[in-house]
Amino acid sequence: MNPTTPPARWWPAVLLALAATAPLPAALTAGGTAYTKRLETNLLAEPAALAATVGRLPAGRPVQIAEVRGAWLRVSDGSAAGWVFAGNLSETKPAEGKGLGAMGLSASATTATAAARPLSPAADDYAARRNLTQARDDLNWLLAQCRAFTPAAVDSFLKEQKKGEYQ
Amino acid sequence: MSPRLIFLLFAAGLATSAFAFDLGGLSKALGNADQLKKGLSTAQDAAKLVSGLGPEEERSLGDTVALEIIGRFGGLVRDEAAMRRLNLIGGALARYSARPDHPWRFGLLNSDTINAFSAPDGYVFITRGLYQITTDDDQLAGILGHEMAHITGRDALRIIETGEKGSVLMKQVAMRSGNTREAEAYLNQVGLNTEKIVKFLVDQGYSHPTEFAADHTGQDLAATTGYAPGGLRAALLRLQQIPAGPQKVFSTHPPLAERIKRLSAEPLSAPAARAGQSTGSSAGNPGLTTASAADAVEKPASSEVNDDDRAFAEAAEKKPAKKKR
Repeated sequence: MNPTTPPARWWPAVLLALAATAPLPAALTAGGTAYTKRLETNLLAEPAALAATVGRLPAGRPVQIAEVRGAWLRVSDGSAAGWVFAGNLSETKPAEGKGLGAMGLSASATTATAAARPLSPAADDYAARRNLTQARDDLNWLLAQCRAFTPAAVDSFLKEQKKGEYQ
Repeated sequence: MSPRLIFLLFAAGLATSAFAFDLGGLSKALGNADQLKKGLSTAQDAAKLVSGLGPEEERSLGDTVALEIIGRFGGLVRDEAAMRRLNLIGGALARYSARPDHPWRFGLLNSDTINAFSAPDGYVFITRGLYQITTDDDQLAGILGHEMAHITGRDALRIIETGEKGSVLMKQVAMRSGNTREAEAYLNQVGLNTEKIVKFLVDQGYSHPTEFAADHTGQDLAATTGYAPGGLRAALLRLQQIPAGPQKVFSTHPPLAERIKRLSAEPLSAPAARAGQSTGSSAGNPGLTTASAADAVEKPASSEVNDDDRAFAEAAEKKPAKKKR
């Protein structure tokens, strides 16, 4: 055996890892499976953004697609059912997990406060060492500006522009 | 780094593409220097080790890379109207991205260069030169969508996690502990490696397959959000019409003609596009006067890419399994 070849005892783990990456069946079609990707996904009574909310699903929840109507899907997780804009679902199970923010963030961390957070201490230190004080000021300005772009502001923009689920 | 560890990192990287790991467990694993010193005995241990940079590491790296990008491209344009437009269009795209609840930030670089960049932790930057060339929201959405695809695809983080040199950084992260001296050593190491990462992101860019994938993902995202599916392609076509000059157009991206060709050939898979519900819009460029494309001249930048950098990029984007061991 090549001295750099992994020992045989590792192969089962490798095969498991490979199996885990196998593509899922095509989703976002009737009969397929999709996954919620927002911290909270509303199930609506009708395929329209302003329809009544009939249920809520947490992030990463698999749902079965019963019907497709344009960009809207009627889905069910077994206990709750309703319409969801396709853009709010993922064809594959979200894989980023807790390590990368999206699925592991608490609700409070998704607010504009999170977007407007101060520069990380490590970056502050880096800016000082690399004489990037002007860039640091600019970045702090950007982070502060982001305070205005709350999820509600984005939602208003979507409505006004007739984008996303408001199309 | 030993071939054994590279192999384990690869195996773990594959595993983590489908599974999420407990962050508390990861932190514990990262803080256990002895484990690393003794070597990793199982693939499971390796999986814990490289299941992804944690939020703090991604945040620090994102901030640091953003600092370098801002520093190298003339600082930020502090124009509130442009900021608003960028962050609302970007925020709309983010809503339907793979990281809908992550705080994204979009900035305008004060440079005539025609390019766009992304950094970990949700930073997207577009140069003034490129911003002024786009004629409507559809084109801007296509460009932003492309850069966002690099973030949701974790393209930069993959370089760090799987790149041979990047794995040195990963090793440092793994050895990090609460000890102040070690933390300082870690910061220094991050500093050194950040330069390399930034040099790669800013001067060289990703491989062509990675860029083509980002084009496709960005196009889909724009279409799902309700922007014209052809926005990115239209922007690229517009850039193609720029008279030859000293400026560099998307110098860190594949040739425009190839990107345009592939975008037109790719079927749209976005739901809105399938449903024929995408809409066009023309919001113009508020807050900034539109410069002619011919005015766009790239500032001289430290763009030398030596063999060492190329090897770094190739190693980073190539699957470790294909490496010779």
